[in-house]
Amino acid sequence: MAAEGASATASAPGERIAIGISFGNSNSSIAITSVDDKAEVIANEDGDRQIPSILSYVDGEEYNGQQAKQQLIRNSNNTVAYFRDFLGQDFKSIDPTHCHASAHPQEHESTIAFTIQDKEGDEKSTVTISEIATRQFRRLKQSATDFSGKEVNSAVITIPTNFNEKQKAALTKSASDAGLEVLQLIHEPIAALLAYDARPESKVEDKNVVVADLGGTRSDVAVIASRGGMYTILATAHDYEYAGVHLDKVLQDHFAKEFIKWNSIDPRENARSLAKLKLEAEATKKALSIGTNANFSVESLAEGIDFASTINRLRYETIARKVFDGFNRLIEGVVKKAGLDVLEIDEVILSGGTSHTPKIASNMRSIFPETTTVLAPSTTPTAINPSELQARGAALQASLIQEYESEDIEQSTHPAVTTVKHLTNAIGVLAISGDPKQGIFTPVISAETAVPARRTIHISVPKEGGDVLVKIVEGGSHIKVSKPDPKPKTNGNKDSDDSDEDSEEDSDDEPEEQRERVWKVGNVLAEAAIRDTKKGSKIEVMINVANDLGVTITAREVGAKGGVRGNLSPP
Amino acid sequence: RYREASNLPLPVLPEGWAGEKDFKTTGRLSAATQRSIEPVGPHFLAHARRARHKRTFSEDDR
Ligand SMILES: Nc1ncnc2c1ncn2[C@@H]1O[C@H](COP(=O)(O)OP(=O)(O)OP(=O)(O)O)[C@@H](O)[C@H]1O
Ligand SMILES: [Mg+2]
Repeated sequence: MAAEGASATASAPGERIAIGISFGNSNSSIAITSVDDKAEVIANEDGDRQIPSILSYVDGEEYNGQQAKQQLIRNSNNTVAYFRDFLGQDFKSIDPTHCHASAHPQEHESTIAFTIQDKEGDEKSTVTISEIATRQFRRLKQSATDFSGKEVNSAVITIPTNFNEKQKAALTKSASDAGLEVLQLIHEPIAALLAYDARPESKVEDKNVVVADLGGTRSDVAVIASRGGMYTILATAHDYEYAGVHLDKVLQDHFAKEFIKWNSIDPRENARSLAKLKLEAEATKKALSIGTNANFSVESLAEGIDFASTINRLRYETIARKVFDGFNRLIEGVVKKAGLDVLEIDEVILSGGTSHTPKIASNMRSIFPETTTVLAPSTTPTAINPSELQARGAALQASLIQEYESEDIEQSTHPAVTTVKHLTNAIGVLAISGDPKQGIFTPVISAETAVPARRTIHISVPKEGGDVLVKIVEGGSHIKVSKPDPKPKTNGNKDSDDSDEDSEEDSDDEPEEQRERVWKVGNVLAEAAIRDTKKGSKIEVMINVANDLGVTITAREVGAKGGVRGNLSPP
Repeated sequence: RYREASNLPLPVLPEGWAGEKDFKTTGRLSAATQRSIEPVGPHFLAHARRARHKRTFSEDDR
């Protein structure tokens, strides 16, 4: 076993025992894959699968997770919480807001540290952020080791999409100092998507996915082009104003005001009372995700006075509306940023603890069209626990790569392999409906597909069979807006209209506009003739786009010999 | 592996259509965008393997 504090060096693939780790500012979780390649999140010694990323010290003894979180009430100075985002940062660039009620981060040499009494006696130590994170990783490693009965020595760890190289290096060092070889750092939303895609019932499809990761102190959203099981991030957004703690705050203020009404004491003015208020507000919030009513009850909330109250879900959703609207704006904004419309999103994955909230899922249901799948516990009974998605995804990736030599992993993740050309437009075949002159675009390969790519479709011949035309074209997706039966404008003076000229949503009495996704046919690429097809048969069209954007097309009648094959030179 | 297209049929071959070996090119693909694929998941690993060994899909199929 590695000596305390020794760095984990790359171990031979055969000796690895690897896990997946999600390490957030609020919670950490660990997952392993079983023999049948299923990932499962494992509980620590307290039985928790969501382990608060908190360390607390009492008489030289270290507490972690839920036990450390309880210490925020009585021992906040020696409790370190909400620290993940400080890794690899300059003191000047961090936001210490969430550390007001626990050990404060301070500038220390070129890094950040906490002054805590972490040993027996009165002596205080200055512990760097790197060391704090290492201690957290040691606890996670120990829990995983206890569970599996073998020493865990390597991990895939999830990171936000906006972590920079310094942050990645700092995180890797902290984990490695805890005796965990970092096999790979993977992006949080990708881990969540992989957790869903790895389910046996999921098909490999081309789809546009939004992953909304709503956590404790931050909300991160990504739009991902998922093409044949390969993932490309099209846009991301990060928000620190609307997250789980802001929902806690709403309930905190609500119950503080109620307490003031009865007792004329503001429990928010005393640190210990505030800490109790916060913890109970969070518990009440979580209870409201399951029940339509929840209790709020704290013994000796302030000046020895006990407090008990209740709230129903509707009231909660009303007072927290501003925060929920914040999530909606964030998510709608990033879809736009990706150059897409909500109609072009096939799947919304709600990830992170806050995603348990039913109201957030129902808001997604109304923002996105019916054709969009919303994966959240309250909308989809088979949804995966949103708090577990990232750790599961990380564990799945760990099991995929743990047999590889470290150099091979490094080589495969190198930009030389990962930076590739992506198609600007979809490529498809023209079919016909009523009007034979009017071609209907049938996509074969979606836009934003990485090359090389190959896709095959089967498409019907006309009823009578005979000679048919396979016309290969580029297509662009557009949103057609139409207003059914618009009322003529009676107001002759347009300038008096108080809404903006370009505003889509004019007055309320106009019929609601209809929005639909349509294809515009672009560039015609090639034509092929398939002769003498049988009644009711199908044509198989295969399009293969090479690295250099050269295209090979093959078309043949399904079940028949031969067929037509042709090439397009690269642009 | 293939996908079943919607049930709209292909058009009838226009009268007088001609192409060498029944194939005719009329254009080229539009320029592409450089983006990063995420090095995650089984399909990426297959991609990376093909890229490293400079293999095509059909060579990979065999
Ligand atoms: N059942 C639930 N209902 C509502 N909120 C919940 C539920 N379970 C957890 N949460 C909230 O989720 C948040 C924690 O989310 P998560 O575990 O994803 O955090 P994280 O990624 O560690 O956080 P951070 O955003 O701080 O980095 C907390 O605000 C917590 O109260
Ligand atoms: Mg998170």
